Amino acid sequence: MPDSHDEIRYADVNDDVIRSLVETGPKYYITLAVAVGVTLLCYAFPWFYQLYYGIGAAGMNHPAVWGTYLANFIFWIGLSHSGTLLSCVLHLTNSAWRKAMYRSAEAMTLFSLMVAGSMVAVHLGRPWFAHWVFPYPNQAGLWPNFRSPLLFDVMAVTTYLTGSSIFIYMGSIPDFAAARDRTTGWRHYMYRLFSLGWRGTDTEWHRLGRAYTFLAVLIIPLAVSVHSIVSWDFALSIVPAMHLTIFAPYFVVGAIYSGTAGIVTVMFLLRKYMRFEKYITKLHFDNLGKLLLVLSLLWTYINVLELFTGWYGGESTELEALKYKLFGYYAPLYWEMILFCAVAPLLCISRRFRTSFVPMLFLSIAINIGMYTERFLIIATSLSRKYLPDAWNLYVPSLVELSILVGTVGLFCTLFLIFVKIFPSVSIYEVKETLPAPEEGSTQWQSTR
Amino acid sequence: MGTIDRRDFLKLVGAGGVGAAAGFVLAEAIKHPVEHLIPYPVPPEEFSPGVAAWYNTVCSMCPAGCGISVRTLEGRAKKIEGNPSHPVNQGRLCALGQAGLQVLYNPDRLTGPLMRTGARGAGPFVQTTWDDGIAELAGRLNELRADGRSDRVSFLTAGVRGHLAALLELLMAELPGARLLQYDFDHPHTLLAANERFFGAGSLPYYDLENARYVLSFGADYLGGWLSPVHHALGFGRSRQGRSGARGRFVQVEPRMSLSGAAADEWIPARPGTEGFLALGIARQLVAEGGYEGADRDAWAAALDGHTADAVAAQTGVPAATIRRLAGDFAGTRPSLALGGGATGGHTNGVDALVAVNALNYLAGNVGRPGGVLFNPPPAFGPRARAAHASYRDMLALAEDARRGRIEILVVSDTNPVFTLPAAAGFAEALAAIPYIVSLSSFMDETTGLADRVLPSHTYLESWGDDSPEPGVGFTVGAIAQPVVAPLYDTRSKGDILLGIARALGAGEDFPWANMEDYLKAGWREVYGRAPIPAEAGGFEAFWISVLRAGVWGENGRRESGSPAVEARVIDAVGVAPPEFAGSSDEFPFVLHPYLSHALRDGRGANLPWMQELPDPMTSVWYGSWVELNPATAERLGLREGDVVDVESAHGKIGVPVYVFPAIMPDVVAMPIGQGHAGYGRYASRRGANPIQLLAPLTEPVTGGLASSATRVRLVPTGRRVSLVKQGGESRQLGRGIVRTTGAAAVTGPGARLASIPIKVEST
Amino acid sequence: MSFLDDFRARWRAYRHPGHYERFDYAWTMTIDLDRCTGCEACVTACQAENNIPIVGEEALAKGREMQWIRIERYWEGEYPDVKLRFIPMLCQHCDAAPCETVCPVTATYHNQDGLNAQIYNRCIGTRSCSVYCPYEVRYFNYNVHHWDKPLDEQLNPDVTVREKGVMEKCTFCIQRIRQAKDHAKDDGRRRVRDGEMQPACVQSCPAEALVFGDRQDPQSRVAKMMADPRAYRVLEELNTSPSVVYLKKVGADAG
Repeated sequence: MPDSHDEIRYADVNDDVIRSLVETGPKYYITLAVAVGVTLLCYAFPWFYQLYYGIGAAGMNHPAVWGTYLANFIFWIGLSHSGTLLSCVLHLTNSAWRKAMYRSAEAMTLFSLMVAGSMVAVHLGRPWFAHWVFPYPNQAGLWPNFRSPLLFDVMAVTTYLTGSSIFIYMGSIPDFAAARDRTTGWRHYMYRLFSLGWRGTDTEWHRLGRAYTFLAVLIIPLAVSVHSIVSWDFALSIVPAMHLTIFAPYFVVGAIYSGTAGIVTVMFLLRKYMRFEKYITKLHFDNLGKLLLVLSLLWTYINVLELFTGWYGGESTELEALKYKLFGYYAPLYWEMILFCAVAPLLCISRRFRTSFVPMLFLSIAINIGMYTERFLIIATSLSRKYLPDAWNLYVPSLVELSILVGTVGLFCTLFLIFVKIFPSVSIYEVKETLPAPEEGSTQWQSTR
Repeated sequence: MGTIDRRDFLKLVGAGGVGAAAGFVLAEAIKHPVEHLIPYPVPPEEFSPGVAAWYNTVCSMCPAGCGISVRTLEGRAKKIEGNPSHPVNQGRLCALGQAGLQVLYNPDRLTGPLMRTGARGAGPFVQTTWDDGIAELAGRLNELRADGRSDRVSFLTAGVRGHLAALLELLMAELPGARLLQYDFDHPHTLLAANERFFGAGSLPYYDLENARYVLSFGADYLGGWLSPVHHALGFGRSRQGRSGARGRFVQVEPRMSLSGAAADEWIPARPGTEGFLALGIARQLVAEGGYEGADRDAWAAALDGHTADAVAAQTGVPAATIRRLAGDFAGTRPSLALGGGATGGHTNGVDALVAVNALNYLAGNVGRPGGVLFNPPPAFGPRARAAHASYRDMLALAEDARRGRIEILVVSDTNPVFTLPAAAGFAEALAAIPYIVSLSSFMDETTGLADRVLPSHTYLESWGDDSPEPGVGFTVGAIAQPVVAPLYDTRSKGDILLGIARALGAGEDFPWANMEDYLKAGWREVYGRAPIPAEAGGFEAFWISVLRAGVWGENGRRESGSPAVEARVIDAVGVAPPEFAGSSDEFPFVLHPYLSHALRDGRGANLPWMQELPDPMTSVWYGSWVELNPATAERLGLREGDVVDVESAHGKIGVPVYVFPAIMPDVVAMPIGQGHAGYGRYASRRGANPIQLLAPLTEPVTGGLASSATRVRLVPTGRRVSLVKQGGESRQLGRGIVRTTGAAAVTGPGARLASIPIKVEST
Repeated sequence: MSFLDDFRARWRAYRHPGHYERFDYAWTMTIDLDRCTGCEACVTACQAENNIPIVGEEALAKGREMQWIRIERYWEGEYPDVKLRFIPMLCQHCDAAPCETVCPVTATYHNQDGLNAQIYNRCIGTRSCSVYCPYEVRYFNYNVHHWDKPLDEQLNPDVTVREKGVMEKCTFCIQRIRQAKDHAKDDGRRRVRDGEMQPACVQSCPAEALVFGDRQDPQSRVAKMMADPRAYRVLEELNTSPSVVYLKKVGADAG
């Protein structure tokens, strides 16, 4: 197998990617079993317990009625912005380095959205009526309340989910076709179904390019609006420290930030375990590192803005919220968040750091821990202390909640593990665009195996 | 088996199918036994389904005797409201009164007569019958009576009024020498004695808060539970904002702020037991500055000489300027009214202190006038002799007699002395020496747990009775208590039990009534005959129905009773000795101030889940006990909220968490009474601690009443910490203007500015 | 009405569903803080009337109380010049209620009597209404509640017993309002008279601190109390337009 990127031939790309689909070692099955096990043990069983026992199984109380479930929801939607950024934005800017990674990033988007959607069901007091948020004609003539930010959420996330599904599927059609042509048995039938009769003609490529670009342009504002709308669950309230106009940009920046960090993590794992070392190189990590740095600075700026406006206004409730965040019960979490999300990413100034794989892995995980903390703090600190001091109360997540948090990671990993065995996780045709085209009559087309 | 042909196969399948189906049906039938929903094609006469029936009766949750109307649906009591026609509460009701429904429907109610097997206090109780129980008790009583030893019988009840008290009196008459003791922890012995000495009438007068313009209360938590809290709250509300142009001013003098102290305009902390000096100081200034114009002015001036503001300031710890100002306000704002009771009466100088308070009223000229102290006419019905409420001394005597074997039968009803007497009284041990104890309680409280036989009585919502409320409203009032639901269990009303005992004693001719309802009607026939009621068509029967419908009967206006003259020797004797405390101040640096908990009172409310879940009004704590500490004291001792300390007196020790309470004197600690039950049902048991256990057997010498506020304690940290379960979060407003106050003070106080103006937030 | 006026009215109704030009009754409560003693009779009366569950010590230790009306306490000053202030806090039935806009399934809405109504069987338990409420007066059923028999004999059949996962709050005893309106209709199609109907808390208050009635009726007691110069609303600056009006406690120095 060629060692460096320049020696890759077209045939190698097909070989490597399809091999990743077809050949499965015991390590994969063990990992999948662990992921499924974690999902069942840490997510499904505690959730069923909660369905039986009531939301009392979680740590919420009066008046801190929201907790980690909503923090999980926002966190996972935030992670979903990774795909959008890489897939769509960088597509429009014609960045070559995105081509190896964007498929997996889009998958991350899809699965993050699914996990976030499932968190809504966990969060609801009566999830067996969750379908009432959807506008469907019914005998009672009841429609949901379209003025509610939560309903904006439902509309936005559903649209985003639909859009992203179509987007990832459509972009994978040529790769399904490539897989169809190289696999046998049940896989062949599956890929024949998925590839929708793709023949690779000029017209088809032309149409695919147009449609793909169209969707990319559509999904970018969708992504920005989705997380803005999610932020408005909080910003449209009157809760001090939540009722801020900065929330929409804050959440969008945070989402892209945490999504990018998520991509770094996933890329490291893919590279290592799917043997994609040629395709995901130091160049990619370098660029991701630069992106992380920029986003980190932006995020820090917005946080400083939040502190400043809270202090400048001088209102009793805002000042109290500030004081509480910085010096109150949850202060250790606040400073941990600052450390992981504002201070640590400054390491990305160094090129050496950016191009070292393992340090970037640790940084990306730290950033996501910090970003999760940020979501948690927004909920926990604001709801503990609202307007009436006599009603203040503390919120501590329960074991069930922490378990479900771990379980969501398990669920995400399960979905992703299944994905890598069905979808080609590196885009074959786009990677080929970065390689020199084979000359007439060369053997590059043919597989060496 | 060989081959099976088609027919046989079908037969087997058929048989198997039928068998399976049968088994299935059987299994389903067992899972869902047949239930009947019986509609009412012919509904019972007592109610219309879905339509509420209201019954008027009398609340018995505290001794005030408010009138209530109970809403019942399909024979079940659903809601208790105040009876609008009853002059004591006028349609209003306190939290404890609302919780009466949980007394009726309490899961731990005793459902039928019980008999002890096994050791006392440990052995299980088994079900038995009424006939057995009454027969055995009457048999033993008869034995003693025949021997002339009926002085070995003792009846111990809660305070009882009305015809039930009269019935008890009649029963006692059948047992010559038997003693009837009525014991309540919070009975105002010292107040009655002070009224006896000063006014010559040992009864509870009526305090007309509604028309007063200045109320000075010495330790009396008139809004919290003292005497008649609902009526006092009505009066308080109307005095405050019920008349235009004259807002009543309320001042509270006590070492620990009570509910009344919180409602007051001023809370004056005075050293425990010195409130009497303060009253004398105010009285002296009033007389000296010409505020009193009676004929005996000189006698008063002489008696009060020496109680100057400075002298009183030294005794009480209240600044002299404050004393002068209070005296000026008291004299200058008329009608002014002084109240005394509660902790002030619970000292060794209690009677003298309350006499001083009576003197204040006398000198303010409010006795017998609106806005002052008014005397109730004698009750229109009830026992002939005034009931003898047992003081602590009387209970000690009972215990001593028991130990000496001089008590052979004890009948206990509705009172729980094992809980409400200090450990120093040794009452539980004394009970062990009594051979036969019968309890008429509806619940297995601590005292009932030591009984041999339990003959459980109806709760008040299932009983006939009546009441003439004390302290009343200044005019004659009588109310009839009727059952609002059919009895739930195999219990009997107290009256019926007493009649049953009387008949079994062979005194049937003296007790010619079939049941309590009969007795009651007979009694009210006499009331009807005596009282100046215009004879109406239908006679007594119509009268009876109309009283039941209204829930109350009596006069409807107050007559001004003149002010009785005070004897010269009483005036000369006006004076207060310094309070004595149990325990030296070196060993025991704090004075313990036990107070009746708002929801649980003397412990009776502890088995009611609504009352356990009612946050304490001052501290917002649920379900537990705590000890209140001044903030400076807490800091000095290094204690924070939740630190568990042992509160130790010379007579006992209990472990409770600390609560830092801003409105208590630095060397006083306070504890609520009510928790710490060892029995009394699932909601009450093994929760919190009972401070009564710690109290020293110090008594007020005149009445023999327990000086419950005179015990000194020390606090020993245990190093343990618990999280107090309380509703409140941050207890300061932080300048958010949630509770707003009018007047200059509101604007300039710290943290009182509006939320939308830049302010500096204090850390509290 | 002309065609144009009719069209305008229909368009307005279409654009603002649930909007009322005028309330049928505008139920209002005034709370006189100078009379309130903090005795909590209102709390227990409400609990008895509205089938409020007994939560238990464990749930209370976690802070999951259930009191549709609660007494808040605020200390002022330091010993010995210390004061304790009580303020009953219940659903303010705001005319511009933050909770009404945020419920995704319209389980809470403003009815024609000016009440903020909660529909238990529509609630899916997102709890966002509780987040949006600045007065913290919405309470969530975190667990299944049960009453030890026979305490359940006391339950009021006119009021739903709520299941877990549902939000609840003060309704101004809407069951009593409904019965009063029905009774008035039967009794000669008249309006409900002032004082004819009281919520349980108002009825029980021993100090007569709570007054309830229709503020649109200028003769009602509540309209007169609202005109008192001491009247204010809690957290007025949030513009929630509450239907509960408080009367300031008179400062001690004001004599």
